[in-house]
Amino acid sequence: MPPHTPLNHRIPMARTRSLFSVVLQITAFCGLFWLCNLLVELEHLPVPAGVIGMVLLVVLLLTRLVPEKAVRSGSNFLLGELLLFFIPPVVSILKYWSMLRDDGWMLIGALIIGTVVVLTGTAWVVDRIFTLEKRMNERRMLDTVHV
Amino acid sequence: MSDSLLAILSLVATLGFYYLTKLAYRRKRIILLAPMLAAPLAIIALVLAVDIPLDDYYLYTHFLVMMLGPATIAFAVPIYQERDVIRRYPITLTLGVITGLMLGLLSSWILVQLFPLPDELASSMMVRSVSTPFAVEAVSSFGGVPDITAMLVIMTGIIGMAVSETVFKVAKIRTPLAKGAALGAASHGAGTAKARELGREEGVIASLTMIFTGVAMVIGAPLFASVLG
Repeated sequence: MPPHTPLNHRIPMARTRSLFSVVLQITAFCGLFWLCNLLVELEHLPVPAGVIGMVLLVVLLLTRLVPEKAVRSGSNFLLGELLLFFIPPVVSILKYWSMLRDDGWMLIGALIIGTVVVLTGTAWVVDRIFTLEKRMNERRMLDTVHV
Repeated sequence: MSDSLLAILSLVATLGFYYLTKLAYRRKRIILLAPMLAAPLAIIALVLAVDIPLDDYYLYTHFLVMMLGPATIAFAVPIYQERDVIRRYPITLTLGVITGLMLGLLSSWILVQLFPLPDELASSMMVRSVSTPFAVEAVSSFGGVPDITAMLVIMTGIIGMAVSETVFKVAKIRTPLAKGAALGAASHGAGTAKARELGREEGVIASLTMIFTGVAMVIGAPLFASVLG
């Protein structure tokens, strides 16, 4: 037997197990979303179910009621493939084809201007605030050292 | 071809083109190969070429869209993992989120006044800068259409990726936090991916800014809509 056989034998097993846990975790995310949806409908909450579920899960993680590794790979998958989940609605722009043909360039122009404004403005503000906050953090650290 | 066959073809093609472009983009980083641009274009081309009715296209692919809700919950994990960054820079993050959100709303509102866009486009514009799962939730407050919103969000993402480096150079932005916050606030997931290319710190700040901007947009949408409407 070549020496690498046991390793080769182990990898598919590990893969199957990790695939299984990803599927299980995704199912858990779906279940939690379903519960939150139910809650929103029953209580007529003004906040969408996804956001409620997100806050709930942050609390569960912080209080260690749910360990991080129980949700990590599921979360990685859902967030890593986020784009896949909204490709179908983009395809339906075919319904609005004539509108895009007539106003497409204007739309792109507006989007470019808007995006440049948000990029520049946010970067400019954060650039200034960050320098300030970093200095505050450094001073706080120095203070604790002195005390 | 029968309807259900077309529906199966639609699902397979959507998954296939998505993973193909993802693989291709990993090998060659050209924006034309970026899955967010190439995959929808390829699928639209197929739908037109085979003449698939949109109802058939949606029959199975709408299950993919249903994952947007659970995916919103999944954002809890990066928030938890990066809680130290949140603790270290609460002011920077808060102001980044507020600035990004306000500038996004105001710029859209002013642009819509200047450019005579059709109503469906104009009202869907307001939420363009936040991540899709949040945007499609928030858009109803503004009277927009989720489908159009998804398209505008993608376009904003691509534009943000394409122009960000030039913008940072011209505006003389150097700190990684500023770049990350701006990318997350202006172009959500695509911006976050771009920020990850710039560096780890940029990526973390971008994803946190993106998530919090999205949450703030969803929660504040009824208020923003009544003020700007």
